[in-house]
Amino acid sequence: MSASDLPILLPAYGEILLLVLASAILLVDLFLPERLRGLTHWLSLATLAACFVLTVQVVRATGGQAAYTFGGMFVADLMANVLKLVVYAAVAAVLVYSRRYLAERGMLRGEFFVLALFATLGMAVMISANHMLALYLGLELMSLCVYSMVALNRDSATSTEAAMKYFVLGALASGLLLYGMSMLYGATGTLDLTQMAQVIAVGQVNGVVLVFGLVFVVAGLSFKLGVVPFHMWIPDVYHGAPNAMTLFISTAPKLAAFAMAVRMLVNGLIDLAGDWQQMLVVMAVLSMALGNFAAIAQTNIKRMLAYSTISHMGFMLLGLLAGVVGGNRFSAPDAYSAAMFYTVVYVLMSLGSFGMVLALSRAGFEAEELDDYRGLNQRDPWLAFLMLLLMFALAGVPPTVGFYAKLAVIDAVIKAGQIWLAVVAVLLSLVGAFYYLRVVKLMYFDEPRDAGPIAPGRDVRWLLSANGLAMLVLGVMPGSLMALCLVAVQGLYPLAR
Amino acid sequence: MTATIALPLAILLPLVLGTAVAPLAARRARAAAVWTAAAVTAAAALILAAAAPPVLAGGAVQALWPWIPALGLNVALRLDGLGLLFAGLILAIGLLVILYAHYYLGSRDPAGKFFGLLMLFMAAMLGVVLADNLLLLVVFWELTSVASFLLIGYWSERAESRQGARMALAVTGAGGLALLAGVLLLGAAGGTFEISALAAARDRVQASPLFPVALALVLLGAFTKSAQFPFHFWLPEAMAAPTPVSAYLHSATMVKAGVFLLLRLYPVLGGNAPFEYAACTVGLVTMVFGAYVAIFRHDLKGLLAYSTISHLGLIVFLIGLDSPLSAVAAVFHVVNHATFKASLFMAAGIVDHECGTRDMRRINGLWRYMPYTATLAIVAAAAMAGVPLLNGFLSKEMFFAEALGMHHLGVLGAVAPYAATLGGAFGVAYSARFVHDVFFNGAPRGLPRTPHEPPRFMKVPVEILVVICIAVGVLPALTVGPVVDLAATAVLGGALPAHSLALWHGFNAPLALSMIATALGGALYWALARKYDLHLHAPSGWTARLLFTRALDGLFAASARLTSALDNGSLQRQLALLVTTAVGLGAVAFAAGGRLAGARALLPVTPLAAAAWLVLVAAALGVVRLHRTRLTAVILAGAIGLVSALGFAYFSAPDLALTQLAVEVVTTILLLLALAALPRTSPRESGPGRRARDLALAGLAGAGVAAIAFAAMTRERDSIAGYFLENAVPKGGGANVVNVILVDFRGFDTFGEITVLVIAALGVAALLTGMVTHRPATDPAGRPWSVQRVPLVFAAAVRWMLPFALLVSVYLFLRGHNAPGGGFIAALVVAAGIATVYMSEGFARTERAIALDYARVAALGVLVAAATGAGAIGFGRPFLASAHGHPALPPFGEVPLATAALFDLGVYLAVIGATLLMLVELARVPGRDAE
Repeated sequence: MSASDLPILLPAYGEILLLVLASAILLVDLFLPERLRGLTHWLSLATLAACFVLTVQVVRATGGQAAYTFGGMFVADLMANVLKLVVYAAVAAVLVYSRRYLAERGMLRGEFFVLALFATLGMAVMISANHMLALYLGLELMSLCVYSMVALNRDSATSTEAAMKYFVLGALASGLLLYGMSMLYGATGTLDLTQMAQVIAVGQVNGVVLVFGLVFVVAGLSFKLGVVPFHMWIPDVYHGAPNAMTLFISTAPKLAAFAMAVRMLVNGLIDLAGDWQQMLVVMAVLSMALGNFAAIAQTNIKRMLAYSTISHMGFMLLGLLAGVVGGNRFSAPDAYSAAMFYTVVYVLMSLGSFGMVLALSRAGFEAEELDDYRGLNQRDPWLAFLMLLLMFALAGVPPTVGFYAKLAVIDAVIKAGQIWLAVVAVLLSLVGAFYYLRVVKLMYFDEPRDAGPIAPGRDVRWLLSANGLAMLVLGVMPGSLMALCLVAVQGLYPLAR
Repeated sequence: MTATIALPLAILLPLVLGTAVAPLAARRARAAAVWTAAAVTAAAALILAAAAPPVLAGGAVQALWPWIPALGLNVALRLDGLGLLFAGLILAIGLLVILYAHYYLGSRDPAGKFFGLLMLFMAAMLGVVLADNLLLLVVFWELTSVASFLLIGYWSERAESRQGARMALAVTGAGGLALLAGVLLLGAAGGTFEISALAAARDRVQASPLFPVALALVLLGAFTKSAQFPFHFWLPEAMAAPTPVSAYLHSATMVKAGVFLLLRLYPVLGGNAPFEYAACTVGLVTMVFGAYVAIFRHDLKGLLAYSTISHLGLIVFLIGLDSPLSAVAAVFHVVNHATFKASLFMAAGIVDHECGTRDMRRINGLWRYMPYTATLAIVAAAAMAGVPLLNGFLSKEMFFAEALGMHHLGVLGAVAPYAATLGGAFGVAYSARFVHDVFFNGAPRGLPRTPHEPPRFMKVPVEILVVICIAVGVLPALTVGPVVDLAATAVLGGALPAHSLALWHGFNAPLALSMIATALGGALYWALARKYDLHLHAPSGWTARLLFTRALDGLFAASARLTSALDNGSLQRQLALLVTTAVGLGAVAFAAGGRLAGARALLPVTPLAAAAWLVLVAAALGVVRLHRTRLTAVILAGAIGLVSALGFAYFSAPDLALTQLAVEVVTTILLLLALAALPRTSPRESGPGRRARDLALAGLAGAGVAAIAFAAMTRERDSIAGYFLENAVPKGGGANVVNVILVDFRGFDTFGEITVLVIAALGVAALLTGMVTHRPATDPAGRPWSVQRVPLVFAAAVRWMLPFALLVSVYLFLRGHNAPGGGFIAALVVAAGIATVYMSEGFARTERAIALDYARVAALGVLVAAATGAGAIGFGRPFLASAHGHPALPPFGEVPLATAALFDLGVYLAVIGATLLMLVELARVPGRDAE
């Protein structure tokens, strides 16, 4: 069956279903009595599962080929579908991890689920956007939901402060992004990414306006990724937000931000790679340096992981900047798939680590100080072991999957001939290994400080086990996920030629 | 069994079975764990032995399983002579250590954890020596670091264990990362990660510009692992590990991994000057330094650790030398050192076990308490010193021979014989100290326990190793000779030169050096013990460790400073950073070569435009200056809006002007009402310095935006305006383009917008319900606010005005499609009119008079709009498709009418409802003084 025989809206079926079901949940939740609040949780999970299944069906129907709809503004290629599947799974995991936490703090209300689902919709739109306006639409839908999620605990001064900062900075960054987009529109006369790539490839575009637009687009993009010097919001927001929201922010949106970077830079602006790769080099090195060095001194695990995010996103950029070498794109699929693999793996690691913070928390206890992890091995050896796996993965210690993620990216950088960059990256991940291993040391070698009960629900314990063991299992068998990333990236428009 | 299965199985057995089953078995009984570990080790050994015959015949066997082809990472395993030798050491000594540990561990030490980790380590080590893929090797390499971290920290309750474990992991893990980088570079240079293929491509690899960096990084990895100077300091710290761990990791396996790597990669990296100089220099320095420091250690295991460092230096030196015989010597010494050092560690463990301390200043004269163990230890120590008839003598002899023959290395070659002799002398001295201090030299001093011979089977491993020392020492060619030859052949990749491993080569220079070293060493120890009293020597050789901890402390402090400097949580600072970066980026992009002014000619500046501009600027500056007095600021902001409206009118856009005007009025009224809930002035929160900074930033950003706006507006550009101007009448049936866009072309958007507006109004109402403000009861002069005092003229005027406002509104609405006006503007006119009535007549009276539920009005508007849109579907057209015509409507005559007008009605109602809902709810908020 050729693509033209498919129903027009088929590529967006997943998003349409999500929109409808999320709206339905919004209404249903209004009329639910307080004691049936758990129903919203299950409905949300069912929604995500349905979207997951439908997206798989869309892949089947399109045969993995890129399919366009909404006049070419929306594309469902393999990369989009794979990333969306991970997003749905990640959001579902977030819901499971955070249920008890939210219930104990009186935040298990319909708003949380509806905001999470609409944010998911925003991410899916971002991932599938083939047009700058669609991208922006998805981005704002996601961001606005996330701002309010951070502020969901209205009575907490730190949360509202974090949300306020996030909102103000995020609005400014969106402004920069829009600004860059309008410049690009001015230079190329189109906002459609495919057309933009074609116009630029012909080469009769005002270079200065183009670079001007590029600069601001990259700035806006970097804010969403949270790389230096646009990282300032990350520590405050991660720290200030309720733990469940931190878990949410630190996982699925990273995939969306990655997709956004690929859509803009690779799909639309790959002919300017010479320009944006240089910017990414600077940001990658700064992010890895600042993220890793600042994380060392943190005493709060959320803040530590916040800085760690900055360094990881910087590391991911290494993959993005290694694609085009001297104008040829032979190694681009390898490099971009390394970045994609890194992002997916990072999301898994982040899910697990923040999931652990949630699992250890209880009413009146947030489990967010590093000291709270002292002697965890004596209190709950299994959770300590899982945390060990997660920390090893974050540090990039073999045979956990974190190692292969780093390996793939560094390999790409070396193939691109940027030897010094690879060496810097390795040295800085050494600094990073230091603070992750400190957590391991606290858990295994120190005496417990906290004697409270550790009682995550059975669902959380199972999910956390799966999540932690995935570090090891994927570490032993990363081949298929890597191959999937490679195929997904090869389907991108500029690389498919 | 084929090699394809045998080789992976030999690694997987301890990795999976050993690591998982041993801890489980330990839950039943310790012996079960011991037996599991021993059985797994023996099974792995048998499997390898079954695969070994081709290797013994001089070949190699391979196994290749694809793993992550995308990265070039395959499970490529290869068993050749070198691998066989190391695998044999790992498994054989592993078996002895397991037996030894059974008796060594206390009854309260968790045995499952110990044996599980030991199996993990063994598997990782086997992986290192069997890997034929460099990436795979790195994976196992890091796994040995992790396993050794956990093993060293086995007694986690002891601070020294934690410290030692961390340091070992920091140094060797870091080295592993360097190795990874080096390996990736090698792969990039050679095009493959398979070691055998790289060896074949040796010339290409060594000619690559990446080679020097790769070599340095790989050497860094090997030197850190094998505790070469100046990275040696982690090894003495790691002595906090249980002694079986030391006997295993720090004599035969972990520290030999670096040496193994050098041997394994010799065919790829070796045979050039940089390699030779680096390895020889570092090896020689390490050898002499380690031996020297070892003399002064008072800790039994500390002495052995420095001795290990020294012997590893010796091996590294031999590998570095570009001579075939030196490779044989290196391999030979690997075996010898493993045997005598493992037995010495075990003996030291027995002493520690029996005496409760390892301080050689207190344990003296043990000969009387444990003569049998003492005999074993003395033989092993003699092998360490290089006494004839023992294995250490043979390889040391070869070392001296090599040190004498390195004339091609210039100064290094000239120094080497002296350094070698000196190192040998130190070696004799510390061996003498070990024997003399522990077993003789008077009686024990204040031991916690009374020592006696250990359990029978605890001595068995030591016995076996000592027997090997003697057997090899007497009959080298008959014992290890063939295996050493096989391994050396694998290293050199070709036939070995003629040589013989034999005890006696006649009187020659090496023997002379050996004798000098022995004599010198004996004299040195005698002098030190007698004249200087070694026991009073305070250890000071901790500089490297001190540097390490200082560096860590410095890192923490620097990180804390960095964080507090960058991350103080101030939003203002973050915004400043963001804006600065954006401006900087823009400037950089622009500096690439841009021209600000475009081709389009500028319009003349008329006095009217100039005046309006001046007012605009003055009002804007006024808002900034006076923003603390909020009322003034809101009024001034209103002025800005009015001037903008005039601007639209001036540029012939009356529809825009009207819209702007209406919006301005209503929003100002809304703001003024909201002000009632706020203090009159806002406090001053920032100092002059910050205000100056902010002014500069705002100026920069504003100038940047102005520049870009200027650049954009002076360029010719196709705008989408043309399309709407052309198509408004033919397709939308209206001449008011703004209105046609609103209700027709972009009807869907408008529909969304009015919905949002209504939701926002409902949200405001919901927020304000139940809110109480803190309005002061008196004005600043202390007079009470009057309850209701509206100027009479105002009230009278308003009464007349409302009907007119409504009339104007209807008029604007009806003409809206063709002339300036439309539902939106008309609604704002109504809202403004009714709002004025609220002001003049008072809230309560007006509410009684106008009994409208604004929420319902707003909802009705949305419904009307939706119904209009849905109506189109009824006619088989898409949602919101419009139709238009010119029906006659007496008495007005022919009236141009479009279905869009119906939609506009929805907009009209929604805007009226939403605006007034907000107004009324704001006005309804009671002040505190009201009660």
